[in-house]
Amino acid sequence: MLEIEGLTVAYGGLAALREVSLAVGEGQFIAIVGPNGAGKTTLFRAISGTVAPLSGAIRYEGRDLLAVPPAGRAHLGIAHVPEGRQVFASLTVLENLEMGAYTAAGRSAWHQSLERIFTLFPVLAERRRQLAGTLSGGEQQMLAIGRGMASAPRLLMLDEPSMGLAPAVADLIFERIEELHRDGRLTVLLVEQRVAEALQSCDKGYVLETGRIVLEGPRQALLADDRVRRAYLGM
Amino acid sequence: MTMPGDRRGPGRELVVIAALAVAWVGLGLTVRDSYYQLMLTLVPIWALFGLSWNLASGYTGLVSFGHASFFGLGAYTVTLGLVRFGLTPWFGIPLGMLVGAVAGALIGYPTFRLRGHYFALAMLAYPLALLYLFEWLGYQEVPLPMQRQAPHWYMQFGDYRVYIVIAVLMLTLALLVSLAVERTRFGKSLLAIKQNEPAAEAAGIDTLYWKMRAIVLSGALAAAAGGLYAVVLLVVTPESVFGVLTSAQALIVALFGGVATLWGPVIGAAVLVPLSEALQAQLGNVLPGIQGVVYGAAIILVILLAPEGVYWRVRDWLTHRRAPLPPPAAAPALEASPERPAAVPPRRPAPGKAILSVEGLSKSFGGLRAVHEVGFVVEEGAISGIIGPNGAGKTTLFNLLNGFIRPDSGRVALRGRDLVGLKPNRVCRLGIGRTFQVVRAFPRMSALENALIGAYVAQPSDREALAAAAAALDRVGLGHRAGAIAAALTTKELRLMELARALAGQPRLLLMDEPLAGLGGGEIEELFAVIRGLAGSGITIVVIEHTMHAMVRLADRLVVLDHGQVIAEGEPAAITRDERVIEAYLGKKWAVLGA
Amino acid sequence: MTAGIFIETALQALVAGLMVGGIYGLMCVGLGLIFGVMRVINFAQGDFLMLGMYFTYYVVSVFGAFAFLGPAGAPIAGALCAGPVLFAGGWLLHRLLIARVTGTRAGVFGDAGQAQLILTLGVALILENGGLIAFGSTPQAVRTPLAWSAWQIPLFDSASSVLFVNKARAVSCMVSLAIGAALYWFTGRTRLGKALRAAADNPQAATYMGVDVDRAYGVAFGIGTGITAIAGGLVASFYPFQPYVGFDFVIIMYTGVVLGGMGSILGAFWGGMTIGLVQQLATLVLPLQLQNAAIFVVFLLVVQLRPQGFFGRSGERA
Repeated sequence: MLEIEGLTVAYGGLAALREVSLAVGEGQFIAIVGPNGAGKTTLFRAISGTVAPLSGAIRYEGRDLLAVPPAGRAHLGIAHVPEGRQVFASLTVLENLEMGAYTAAGRSAWHQSLERIFTLFPVLAERRRQLAGTLSGGEQQMLAIGRGMASAPRLLMLDEPSMGLAPAVADLIFERIEELHRDGRLTVLLVEQRVAEALQSCDKGYVLETGRIVLEGPRQALLADDRVRRAYLGM
Repeated sequence: MTMPGDRRGPGRELVVIAALAVAWVGLGLTVRDSYYQLMLTLVPIWALFGLSWNLASGYTGLVSFGHASFFGLGAYTVTLGLVRFGLTPWFGIPLGMLVGAVAGALIGYPTFRLRGHYFALAMLAYPLALLYLFEWLGYQEVPLPMQRQAPHWYMQFGDYRVYIVIAVLMLTLALLVSLAVERTRFGKSLLAIKQNEPAAEAAGIDTLYWKMRAIVLSGALAAAAGGLYAVVLLVVTPESVFGVLTSAQALIVALFGGVATLWGPVIGAAVLVPLSEALQAQLGNVLPGIQGVVYGAAIILVILLAPEGVYWRVRDWLTHRRAPLPPPAAAPALEASPERPAAVPPRRPAPGKAILSVEGLSKSFGGLRAVHEVGFVVEEGAISGIIGPNGAGKTTLFNLLNGFIRPDSGRVALRGRDLVGLKPNRVCRLGIGRTFQVVRAFPRMSALENALIGAYVAQPSDREALAAAAAALDRVGLGHRAGAIAAALTTKELRLMELARALAGQPRLLLMDEPLAGLGGGEIEELFAVIRGLAGSGITIVVIEHTMHAMVRLADRLVVLDHGQVIAEGEPAAITRDERVIEAYLGKKWAVLGA
Repeated sequence: MTAGIFIETALQALVAGLMVGGIYGLMCVGLGLIFGVMRVINFAQGDFLMLGMYFTYYVVSVFGAFAFLGPAGAPIAGALCAGPVLFAGGWLLHRLLIARVTGTRAGVFGDAGQAQLILTLGVALILENGGLIAFGSTPQAVRTPLAWSAWQIPLFDSASSVLFVNKARAVSCMVSLAIGAALYWFTGRTRLGKALRAAADNPQAATYMGVDVDRAYGVAFGIGTGITAIAGGLVASFYPFQPYVGFDFVIIMYTGVVLGGMGSILGAFWGGMTIGLVQQLATLVLPLQLQNAAIFVVFLLVVQLRPQGFFGRSGERA
């Protein structure tokens, strides 16, 4: 579904990604783990088009994604739930979800999506008239995921959904993501620094370090690999 | 901005200034037509006004849309001094400069607190308020009375060419002042403010002080231009001296010719003033606003085609032509650095007494408790690590320590001296240097100049500062890249350069925010060697990192933050076995899954 | 002056302030939309106001269009027409110049804000002086019979004290309120309006939603200039103008927008209303020439003391 080959991205002479290649199959749950600064967010931004790569190719459902303007990529069924939530703070919860459904697919599936979002995150239904900026961190994360779902995507990209959340809230978020993947038959690409949660639910994982993929493999293999632990703790 | 060969004297510029002045006066003496004589007088006046704008705005990057305030105050001081008190412009112009300087201080102090758009808008409002004020006072149109007795005493000359000489003399003086500013820590500090104000402040530059000095000097020069303008044109109206077009003209001649160089306003005035005056004279009857259209078009073209001005564009073009391949912007082989840092000294002896103590430090943003009741002690001579996952509050903690942010509560003391409430430049002066997570370089300065900015705080003389800067570069192993422009350095070199800038201020305590971000494996080892070397020479070091494995090897002691609170503290080996730390890093389920 | 007469004068100024304030409010809403969505400071906004005035003048007084609406209706229709025409002008200006230094292409000039400021200053100089070439320097006015007539509302019980409500101002104010309300509905309820607010709030996230942010900026810039031009056309029926009139108003507009909290549409409207009131009430205590100086003083005080404005709630933007 999504294939990335030899992707290199640099900001002002600083290489953030070097020759990254990965593949996401239809319906798969792929996790990319790695410490902060490894280039995970940059990878997502390159897929969404808010940074331009130096070299490399991105193919999505057979077409050259780099030739599609950034705003056009959402219309192809790619939903990006960005790092740090980035909800529209000055819009209400419902308006945020409406913005998620800005694409044609999102609009036609609006009522089903809304029902699903509210079933998954009932708190959003309660607060639908509230400004998104007044939500708590966890609620904002739920809203950001809901906003991504509202576009009725085929590929859902989640950038560090656990960041800055209390462990219990993060657990809840991960459960919901798993549910989404399982019941919604959705392709999920997850970037996380919390290795355990990310690897627990994925089909396949990649470990990104200083802009390079240093390890990849199915879930069990990665969990058993001592190098993952060492990459984090140095022991 | 300036060339690496800055160590040479200002000889060449002096020669050029003198030659220009002589040529202009020579040209003026040969011209007989009074219209051309007026134009030859107006060019240096507007160039002078442009230079004054350049001092306050070109070097600092704080664009002022209100320099007409100073120009008009100068013009009205001279005019009203003569009309009301019979004061000769020979004294009126210096008095006007004093008024301009005071106005600069009065306007600058409150306005520099404003950021970005607010600064621009506020600066625009001052001259307009003055314009209405002077209209209300009844000074709609004030002619300078002809003085039949002793006209020369009143700066009134039958021979117009005298004005050319006076204008050129004043411009020359202003050029010399600008040259002096450009070549000393005054100008370098202003450029540093323009290129990265927080970095300048953290490197010990008292940014408010230099900005105030700049606007006071600028106000005086603008008032001089205004005073001379009144003397030459013999009539002053609020619109002509306080009007928006007047403010715009200062900005436009400087921007057109080139910002932050003393040649810019001269080039801009020499091109635009004759052009617009000639068009006005030829077409003024048919197209009454042609002058404004020319200025408007000029500034649009410059912004789109040469955003820093004609001078820089031409200079870039010439240097490219002369040297088709400029110094390699590409990384020189990292493995082959000719100047390796000194050999790694042995691990330091057991650390001594506390140098920095933090107690109960808290800071909230809105409802988010970014840093909550954080307390720890840094021991002299040690390498301490502050680690924690992303969003744990590490950078906020540094910003609290070096004065970027004021804590809600708590205490920070450097050897017993309370730091809370001090501005970053004061904290730096007391001996705390810092580097940033995303390198905050002065991108258009050379590596040496970057370090130089950091050296000023510890060195009273510019010469010693330069020596200290060079020494700091050598110390981190970057001496061979001293002349390279920061924007052309590699990530590793930038990190080292920023470190050198902090070192040049001779800190006792060094705060390093994620120095490893963006570095590859070998580069990390190199940086470690440098850091260990610094610690060996007695500098206490605190490093922020989120990846633990690197810190375990570097630090003597670790403080672990999560959700703004200290969750563990101690020897690295113990920290990596701490349950709470593993949970914070790898997630709660790791123990279950990974075990 | 007796207390009664003073109260009468004060009430008169208050009513004038409310009506002028309504129109200023509309001007500020136009500028506030541009600033709120794009964070762009447009020095040329006053000159679009001027263009709106001249457009109305030429269409109505010179070419006599809308004559069928009668002498009172034609100027209003002319002003409304200035909206779409200058929407196109603003959109083009954004497309050709502003977009080169803002939005996704920001950052050429170190601080992108400055490039855009200077660029709009250049546009302002050209429009103003080009206006001088095109329209001449003679002050003009759009003639409407409403300017010389007023509704008279008796005050107290005495027959002698009457409150005059100038019809030209009152009608202009009502039209302004209607357009302001329409814009409020547009940004709050329509898909495009919400997309503009989303692009203003977080351009990057808006891109992820599929919003073409540069295009949204162009639309916002066009609407902002169009709205201000309509306000200009409405002012033209009771305020004589010449090509340099723009700078008088640009400060008024910015004062209103800053008062309103820089970026909130409702706030900008109340900011403009406040300026109208300050300006008219200032005539009670200050000489006429200092009316505008009073606005600058208010402006400087607001910028210095409370740059976040008085009317904008932190949550409500654009």
